[in-house]
Amino acid sequence: MSLQARFRALYGAGPLNLLVLVASFAIAAAAVVGWFQEPKSVVTVLLWFVAAIVLHDMVALPLYSLLDRIAFGRMPAGVRRGRRSVPTLVDPTPYLRIPAILSGLLLIVFIPVVFGLGTTTEESASGIPESGYAARWLLAVGVMFVASGVAYAVGTARARAAAAPAAPSDPAASPGPPAAPAPAAPSDPATPPNPPAPPPS
Amino acid sequence: MRLPIPDPSKPPPGPFRAGFWRSPLRSPRLTALLGLVLLVGLPVVIVTGLLSNDAYQPGLGGNALGRHLGPLDFYLFGWPTRPVWLYALTQGLHVSIGLAVFPVLLAKLWSVIPRLFEWPPVRSPAHALERLSLALLVGGALFEFVTGILNIQYWYAFPFSFTQAHYYGAWVFIGAFIVHVSLKFGTMRRSLRTRAAVLESVGDAEPESESVALEASSPAPASMSRRALLATVGAGSAVLFVQGAAQSIGGPFRSLAFLLPRGRVRSGPLGFAVNKTWAASGVSAAKVGSAWRLELTGARHVSLSRAQLLAMPQHTHDLPIACVEGWSTTQRWSGVRLRDLAALCGVDRPATVTSASLEHGTYGHATLGHEQLADERSLLALHVNGVDLSLDHGFPARVISPAVPGVHCTKWVTTMTFHPEPA
Repeated sequence: MSLQARFRALYGAGPLNLLVLVASFAIAAAAVVGWFQEPKSVVTVLLWFVAAIVLHDMVALPLYSLLDRIAFGRMPAGVRRGRRSVPTLVDPTPYLRIPAILSGLLLIVFIPVVFGLGTTTEESASGIPESGYAARWLLAVGVMFVASGVAYAVGTARARAAAAPAAPSDPAASPGPPAAPAPAAPSDPATPPNPPAPPPS
Repeated sequence: MRLPIPDPSKPPPGPFRAGFWRSPLRSPRLTALLGLVLLVGLPVVIVTGLLSNDAYQPGLGGNALGRHLGPLDFYLFGWPTRPVWLYALTQGLHVSIGLAVFPVLLAKLWSVIPRLFEWPPVRSPAHALERLSLALLVGGALFEFVTGILNIQYWYAFPFSFTQAHYYGAWVFIGAFIVHVSLKFGTMRRSLRTRAAVLESVGDAEPESESVALEASSPAPASMSRRALLATVGAGSAVLFVQGAAQSIGGPFRSLAFLLPRGRVRSGPLGFAVNKTWAASGVSAAKVGSAWRLELTGARHVSLSRAQLLAMPQHTHDLPIACVEGWSTTQRWSGVRLRDLAALCGVDRPATVTSASLEHGTYGHATLGHEQLADERSLLALHVNGVDLSLDHGFPARVISPAVPGVHCTKWVTTMTFHPEPA
């Protein structure tokens, strides 16, 4: 057995792996020495470091996964119409979930301003009254959900048009009411007022 | 005595069992794609962060704020003054790109969370060291992002010095990041080897057949496509990027930073942003009245009133104030050239100048170096945008120099000490 093979059997990887890892631990050790330049705060720094891992991996991630499952895990596949459950043409889940994720992201990142936790420091720094961030966040949440709702309405209308039985005549020339009340998509100004039905997929 | 070696075939219940992880979105290719984005974004954040350290010129005077220059405190070069927006750019990138990669980091951590519970927890010494290194990687990344994100919102929740903790924390992260890239680059490349593989990582195609722990063994039905997940992460990154970029670019874009404190300013020639108000400085008004004098020390001592400074040749330049928090604002400053002040006190070839403020906070004094003194646009400003400085902007006189961090543009200057180049 060669030296290298014996090393590999004992250590579990090649010598370069060990070298790279040891180098990075040396850098980390030098950083801890750097933190020790302020000996009084080094314990809190290390505490924050460990807390960052634990709070993310053991608290935040399970919590948002759980919230997601509670909110979207059992979305009904249809809507109630009287006694029947009519399946929705477009799954509404992403249209609720995406703005919810983005709202949560903005809240997590901007907790300090939204809850005014740094207001006193901010105001003594800038001299400008610092308030109203909670309202701004709520406005952002509202805008995202409304935009998502519009996207859902457009998606449903398109799906309904596609699901309608393909009429032999040109749908644009048909005098009857269109199968879908095709709302002029606000996000797509290039779309003509009476778009031809998308091909059934 | 035998060591209690866990049986690889019998993981304890819960997250250690493959069936626990049910999201159909996790896949090696999704992780590889998110990793690729981080591989591009994080080095930008790292390099601009190290450049910011350089811009503070910690080797000069008291600029290191109590840090001793040890092995990790290197200071590569004197910070250049051209282009004038250099620090506005590097620090704007540091904060904007940092904000933009944060959602990608969260998504990446979500995509690999089953690995935290792999069984057996340790297979070999190499595996143990790699896992320890991952703790430094994840801890370092989260520590850096959390302290940075709190700092730009002025919430000093941490009972330690931000600059010191953030700087050394960055090194913990950098070391672990280099290890992680060198160990995982091959895996990432294999996962994204072909165009088809990249498209697959974005789309909803069946995951590849080779068994990897990241894929759910009994996936729940998909309630969201992988493309939708990536679009969500991208949208989050875009919104956060705009917050950072808008406060850095400023002008008409500034108000787009609607969730950051620097998204608003007052109007008028003196309405631009301030990072320490006169009210917060604690300086008594008598000290900036008619009794105020600028004390210059060099080869000789010179004391100047504001009227005497105004009688000297005045120079006007458009220069940015660029803050470490990522915001910047360019204004038209007028005043006396620093080199003229150096000549006045008998220093013809100044190497450094230390300016002290009437205010005795963390940045109550700052030292500029050879590059700043050699640039004729480095001023002791008396006017801004055609009017007298206001107290908030440093009346009677403040330093302004191209491309230096904002806090080194000392306000309410009372003394300036010039040191000559060594002969």
